[in-house]
Amino acid sequence: MLQKVKVWDWPLRLFHWGLVLVVTAAVVTGKMGGPLADWHGRLGIVVLGLVVFRLLWGFVGTTHSRFADFFPTPARLLAYGRGVWQGLGHNPLGGLSVLALLGLLLLQVVSGLFANDDIAFEGPWAVLVDKSLSDRLTAWHGRLSWGLLGLIGLHIAAVGFYARFKKINLLLPMMTGYKRIAADDGIPISSGRLEPGWLLVSTVMAAGLALSVANGVLPDRFIRLLDITAPAVDIEEPEPAVL
Amino acid sequence: MTRKWGLVVVTSLISLAVQAGPIEDQIRYRQSAYSFIGWNFGKIKNQVVDHPETYNKDQVVAAANALAATANSGLGALFGPGTDKGTGWKPTRLKAEFFQQPEDVRTAGVAFITEATALARAAESGNPEIIKAQFNKTSETCKGCHDKFRAKE
Repeated sequence: MLQKVKVWDWPLRLFHWGLVLVVTAAVVTGKMGGPLADWHGRLGIVVLGLVVFRLLWGFVGTTHSRFADFFPTPARLLAYGRGVWQGLGHNPLGGLSVLALLGLLLLQVVSGLFANDDIAFEGPWAVLVDKSLSDRLTAWHGRLSWGLLGLIGLHIAAVGFYARFKKINLLLPMMTGYKRIAADDGIPISSGRLEPGWLLVSTVMAAGLALSVANGVLPDRFIRLLDITAPAVDIEEPEPAVL
Repeated sequence: MTRKWGLVVVTSLISLAVQAGPIEDQIRYRQSAYSFIGWNFGKIKNQVVDHPETYNKDQVVAAANALAATANSGLGALFGPGTDKGTGWKPTRLKAEFFQQPEDVRTAGVAFITEATALARAAESGNPEIIKAQFNKTSETCKGCHDKFRAKE
């Protein structure tokens, strides 16, 4: 007897599919460049907001959204390798994939903040570094984009592999939130409660961070903190002449 | 006697360091030219694309004129043979392809000069929409050359 179990909460699903749209647009605008560079920059800020939200939600979301539920510890990976892992959310391999994708996206966003296209676009934090460092970070941003595309391809291939060879549909649950499991599978069913308060806090914090980064509020604070307009050499007060 | 020879050696070494060859000079001049172009391009972008409420006709005209003048100053002379290797202010990013595809180089160069000159004319119109359209056209000519002939960092 199959029963429907709620696994993925709606903020998580919204985040996932939002990311699909935004990252696709970012890749296209990034590769085309030129007048689209400004849009690429804006999309990057949206990615920052989404990723920060996911990182926060990983601590305050429902059960299977939390990192604690799927973090690929050596014990879990070993169990999975031996075929004895059981669970409703991401399996340990899936968990690794989540962390890799989030990590790579974060690296892309941070490097992109300092990047420039040598024509008319520069990231909101490019003002903090000299052109040479900005150029190097831009180059890394370009190289990492291929790694990101590779990881995304792997992710899609894995979903396909599960459908074709394991006869497990991973796409539908990520859309509806529900998985069908046999009632006597023995897998502990727990989804926790979606806390609207935490959802609000996470959304506001993520959006706030993204907007302040985009509008140079953080660079402004950094600049005042580091006082980068100060002279490079300490000016010594001349000693009073001894008459 | 040794002191005199020491002085000769030291001044020779200094003059060797200061005296860059013709290749280094070309690279330095063109790196300066494109930096200067980028500065003026950024000014136009700021007033016409990013913050149109700050548009000042005279300032944009001045920036566009400086840009067009630099574009028309014969920058081709700074891309002599062998200048794909060497250091001006920093190591050059010119690719060897530049010397293997002279026709494409000519197309890219002429495109830049044409659009930069048109940008200066558009700036005279005082109409930010017209300037913005021409700004976009000009930035595509920058990209046209960069994509083909400049190495990534």
